[in-house]
Amino acid sequence: MAEDIILELKGITKIFPGVKALNNVQFQLRRGEVHALMGENGAGKSTFIKVITGVHSAEEGHMYLNGQEVFFKGPLDAQEAGIAAVYQHPTSYPELSVTENIFMGHETVKGGIIQWREMNAKAQELLDSLDADFKATDEVGALSVAQQQMMEIAKALSTNAQIFILDEPTAALTANESEKLYGIVDKLREDGKSVIFISHRFEDMYRLASRVTVFRDSQYIGTYDVDGISNADLIKAMVGREITDMYPKQEIKLGEEMLRVEGMSRVGYFKDVSFDVKAGEIVGLTGLVGAGRTETIESVCGITKPDSGKVYLQGKPITIKNPSDAMEAGIILLPEDRQRQGLILSWGLGRNVTLPIQDVLANKGFNDEKKERELSKKHLEDVDTKAVTIFQPASSLSGGNQQKVVVAKALAQSHMKVVIMDEPTKGIDVGAKKEIYEIMGDLAKKGYGIIMISSEMPEIIGMCDRIFVMCNGRVSGCLDRSEVTQEKILELSMEQSGTKKGGAA
Amino acid sequence: MAGKSGREISAVPEGGLKEKLLTWEGALILIFVAVNILGVIISPVYNATNVLREMPKYLAEAFMVFGMGYILVLGDIDISVGSIVCLSATMACFAGNAGLPFGVVVLVCVLTGLCCGMFNGLIATKFTELPTMIVTLGTQIVFRGIAEVSLGSGGSISMQNTEGLSLIAKKIGPFPISFFVLLIFAIVFITLLSKTTFGRKLYAIGSNQTAAKYAGINVQGSRFFCFSLLGFLSGVSALFLLSTLYGANTTTGNGFEMEVIAMCVFGGIATTGGKGNLIGGFIAAFIIFCLKIALGQRNINTQLILVIIGLMLIVSVVIPGLGSYFGAKKKSTTK
Repeated sequence: MAEDIILELKGITKIFPGVKALNNVQFQLRRGEVHALMGENGAGKSTFIKVITGVHSAEEGHMYLNGQEVFFKGPLDAQEAGIAAVYQHPTSYPELSVTENIFMGHETVKGGIIQWREMNAKAQELLDSLDADFKATDEVGALSVAQQQMMEIAKALSTNAQIFILDEPTAALTANESEKLYGIVDKLREDGKSVIFISHRFEDMYRLASRVTVFRDSQYIGTYDVDGISNADLIKAMVGREITDMYPKQEIKLGEEMLRVEGMSRVGYFKDVSFDVKAGEIVGLTGLVGAGRTETIESVCGITKPDSGKVYLQGKPITIKNPSDAMEAGIILLPEDRQRQGLILSWGLGRNVTLPIQDVLANKGFNDEKKERELSKKHLEDVDTKAVTIFQPASSLSGGNQQKVVVAKALAQSHMKVVIMDEPTKGIDVGAKKEIYEIMGDLAKKGYGIIMISSEMPEIIGMCDRIFVMCNGRVSGCLDRSEVTQEKILELSMEQSGTKKGGAA
Repeated sequence: MAGKSGREISAVPEGGLKEKLLTWEGALILIFVAVNILGVIISPVYNATNVLREMPKYLAEAFMVFGMGYILVLGDIDISVGSIVCLSATMACFAGNAGLPFGVVVLVCVLTGLCCGMFNGLIATKFTELPTMIVTLGTQIVFRGIAEVSLGSGGSISMQNTEGLSLIAKKIGPFPISFFVLLIFAIVFITLLSKTTFGRKLYAIGSNQTAAKYAGINVQGSRFFCFSLLGFLSGVSALFLLSTLYGANTTTGNGFEMEVIAMCVFGGIATTGGKGNLIGGFIAAFIIFCLKIALGQRNINTQLILVIIGLMLIVSVVIPGLGSYFGAKKKSTTK
């Protein structure tokens, strides 16, 4: 059986100053296999991938490719050995064409002249083999994230890669796009390629992988056949404890109406959107990526200006012109992109938490640092942030813990009434997800109105009292907790033949 | 609420006296002392009396360091300040020669600067997609152009009534008045940046403009304010410059923008925004003044002085850069 192992790593240890990022881990990849790599944020998966792709060199351990021991000095060595990595956020040149991106660094050259026609034809061939819905001559910046990923896969194919590493490929994709990606991975497997993929989504693993390797706290926990392990056992392996009841939805008596949005429109983004949330209620806002969910919420919170529409807070109409108006009114937004919109990564955790409320804490315009320290410490501890001190930069935390800092920052605003969470669990691990759900539940219990934007159906169905589905810039329906199913959400998310196309335009 | 693990997060500020001395500001104080020792060694006439006598000429420039520091912390830049100084000084001379009382002359000088700054701010905040380097490159040419047109064929103007100007050129003890005004400005602007919510907001904008906006900070309002402030301070610079020159011409203030940016950068303020403080910029200004005076006394020509200051600037930027380069190598990505 030894010959069907294409890649094997043994006893890999990678040390960063003060931390063992990988501690004696092992991994085996069979030829023609799709192998899932799972674990919580900070478990060492990304570091491990970087060891395979030659970005990091391990202090200890051996790597064998086709039975031969190999040493990669840099990413180029790994590429030449036939290992290609596709990342969650593709690293491409947006101003260049698809062909240029695919052949970057290995252009077809004859007599010093780049053979554009030949390269375009070859690129198109690769794209066709993947059933791509864009052309080789398209500009990359105009492609969706899913299309860019497809381009990255085409790029890997062009270098004749045998091993594909996909790092959270479905995190930014819609259900449809994910399905397409599954098809591509199936195809790769049929062609005899081997695939390693990292994902926090269990459905990815069940759909694609035959085996799964779990890392926890920088250590190798085990490799399992996907058919032979139950969901609960896998979570236990990843988290180190049993997680019962993933969605701790509590029965809360709903109170008065907190927020009502009526007929909000912004040309080109969304049209005639109305929804509402009551005290103690968790309302979901879902739909495909690009349906206008985030854009709607950003207009409600004063980040962009809507063309028309009314916002009522506890029955009274309010005008929100900028984000601080929304905050003063008590509408708190936890933005989708925590690294860009939610946090100042170079700042300490404490200052991040108190940034929106420093004026409230300040004494005649002078920062009250002592009060800020105490308050941020309390809120960071309340949400159970894994941190040593409030002075460490936000960039030093894992994704899940960064999200907790964003939550702490929101909770520090004592006069809040409505909390809007945009993709609060995106890219964070099972354990942290559950903690976010618990916080959400606690907030609802305290009588706040909660709005959660999410593309993940299980959490929408598991946590929400009512679900507004958006499609093409419009609210296509509202489902009650009692009647909701995945199928019904999907149906409302998809464009119906009866719906006018481009309703948002 | 959660927090069930009971994990404690430390909120005790780190760093004692030792860390405070090991900062760039500490190093700048040492450099300041070194430059003065160097001055005494290389020039027999480098002493307190002479330095103070030559100081007013240079002090005028230092007022702009505060405004420029704010602009750089925001992640913006303003290269029109030299032209603003020229235009303000020119307008003040016209006002003075028209027989207006000195109080009005002062007002004209400072308000011209303020208007220029507001114009910069208006364009920078209305057309946010434009880099401020380009915006102020344009206004740099426009402001100086207006001054040149006003000055006409002669290209220069002298203040005929020097009574008022000689008043602010006076000294209190051995120190020129501008020194005390500068000191008061320094205290106000350093405190404003380091101790107030206003200052913290500037750092937030410079570190991550998007996150600052989401946190409810008035990003464009703050930028407009800082550009206006820098314009106002350029007007103040022009006023004190007039008190040493008693006139203006088409080259007045030439190159000031680069010198002022150099002082800020030498003082540890990053042009990428969000880093550094004004104490450093303030000390750096005096290092450069003393160096200029000492080298000038040795009759070393101005070009060579510029070469030396340029090299110092590069070294000052490279040294902290080296620190973070090795730091990054050590830490790598502790993900």
